[in-house]
Amino acid sequence: MEAKASSSKKEWLRLIFFFSVILIFGGALLSLPRAAIPLTIAYVIYLIVSPAIPTLAKLGLGKGPSIALLFVALLFFFIYPIVKVVPTITREAKEFKDNIPRIERYVETQYSKTRAVIKDKTGYEVPSKYVSEVIEVARKGTANFLLNLPQVLASFLEWILLVPLFLFFLLKDATSFKKSILRLTPNSIFERFYYLSHKFNSQLGDYIFAKFVEASIVGIIITSGLLILDIKFSLLLGLVAGMTNVIPYVGPVLGTIPAIVLGFAEYGTTPTTGAIVLLYLIANTIDIGIVFPLLVSKIVDLHPVVVVMSVILGSQYLGILGMVVSIPLAAAVKLIIIEIYNGVYSDRNR
Amino acid sequence: MSYENEITDKLDKKEALPEKLDISMLKYFWQANPFSSTKGGNIPKFLRRIEVLKNFSDNELRLLSQSMHLRSFENKEIIFKQNDLGVGFYFVYSGNVDVTVDSSKGTEETANYLLSLDKYDYFGELALLQDNSARNATVVARGNTELLGIFKPDMEALILDHPIVAAKLLQSVSLIIANRLFSVTREVRALKYKLTQRKLGKDGSKS
Repeated sequence: MEAKASSSKKEWLRLIFFFSVILIFGGALLSLPRAAIPLTIAYVIYLIVSPAIPTLAKLGLGKGPSIALLFVALLFFFIYPIVKVVPTITREAKEFKDNIPRIERYVETQYSKTRAVIKDKTGYEVPSKYVSEVIEVARKGTANFLLNLPQVLASFLEWILLVPLFLFFLLKDATSFKKSILRLTPNSIFERFYYLSHKFNSQLGDYIFAKFVEASIVGIIITSGLLILDIKFSLLLGLVAGMTNVIPYVGPVLGTIPAIVLGFAEYGTTPTTGAIVLLYLIANTIDIGIVFPLLVSKIVDLHPVVVVMSVILGSQYLGILGMVVSIPLAAAVKLIIIEIYNGVYSDRNR
Repeated sequence: MSYENEITDKLDKKEALPEKLDISMLKYFWQANPFSSTKGGNIPKFLRRIEVLKNFSDNELRLLSQSMHLRSFENKEIIFKQNDLGVGFYFVYSGNVDVTVDSSKGTEETANYLLSLDKYDYFGELALLQDNSARNATVVARGNTELLGIFKPDMEALILDHPIVAAKLLQSVSLIIANRLFSVTREVRALKYKLTQRKLGKDGSKS
């Protein structure tokens, strides 16, 4: 009996030690966003590329060489766009900025026209302050962005160094790191902890991989469509569409707005604008009708309300990154809740 | 003078030769050096002595040992409880474990001692195959015990990284299960036979 009591006491100590190690690590990461954000980005990239390692290993490469090959390929894919595409996008962004006054004027004239029509039909005069407020907010946002640009650039430079570093060590040491965490895990929760963390990780990985593929497909469709239509800013708009696509429900709409506003301002109510709208409709239909059901929906099975709530929560705490990560996190929380439920009510079920 | 020349010289002069190099002693000192990790090297050797893993080559056992986890338990520590969700298949690396089955009669729950497992024995193989597998018995460590476990996530990783090792492991697990199924079927048949005999006896005594 005494042996049992002392062993359970030791087990408690182990549990406390284990959870305090996890809490300290988590707390340190959360309080250090400068390290946490590049680490998260590196982890996301790791989740996207790590399935390639066994495939490369099957081709006869060892683990070391396949990691090195993957890393070199990734560096190429990172550096190539920075060298080639970034200047184009920067030029487009600059031109876009020059176009802003014209777009503002266009929105204002359209607004006053609509106001006149509404006044004609209903007799109600819509106050003109709405549009000026919106424009003011947009202007302030741009100014803020320009003011923060040096800071953003500085952290970007930091990331360029940190992300590949973290990524390399994740690719190289993730397995041994996992093993040492498992060695710390107390016996009484070992199986459950291992299984849950594995499920959580694979779900997160699958989700992020699927989202990455989905965003790339949408981005490519829109960019190539706009290039065929010979629209200005096609690369920029395609990039925006791909990036916003990662945000569920709201993202596709957000990605469409700049293109449609630009289309109307640039081409007016001509067939070209119609073609742009049609292109976005087609891209989003392909996304919603084919890509999403095939790729993403199998991975996370959440109620739409839960999805929207978790996206809002994520954006509150981690910004855009939070929006991306929120859904797999919600799925993981659901997994854990189901697990605890099964544990607590297991006698009733069996 | 080289060692070889020295020996031939001594042979020619018929002098006493130096003592022979004791290979086994050298090997002992080599293996006992504090910097060599003997534990990792011992796991494949341990696995080699398990009957159901006999179709593995040495290298495959080494790969298998890399995805296994050595867990140590104290005396009376519970390894898993009956009806727990299980994901692990264990080999007894050192020490002993007791297997008990809880049977509830009304409100009373009694733990019935079933059997004790020794070094090189294994248990929990169903968890590797079943989804949401519930443990059929409670397993408790007797004395300080070390177990070598392989878990469902390891199995999934093994299928991707080393499919041949994974296939052989699944073959071994199927072998274990097939053997158990065979003995269970035999037992069921024997019990059925006994039951019909009893029925016949009862009917005979009635008439």
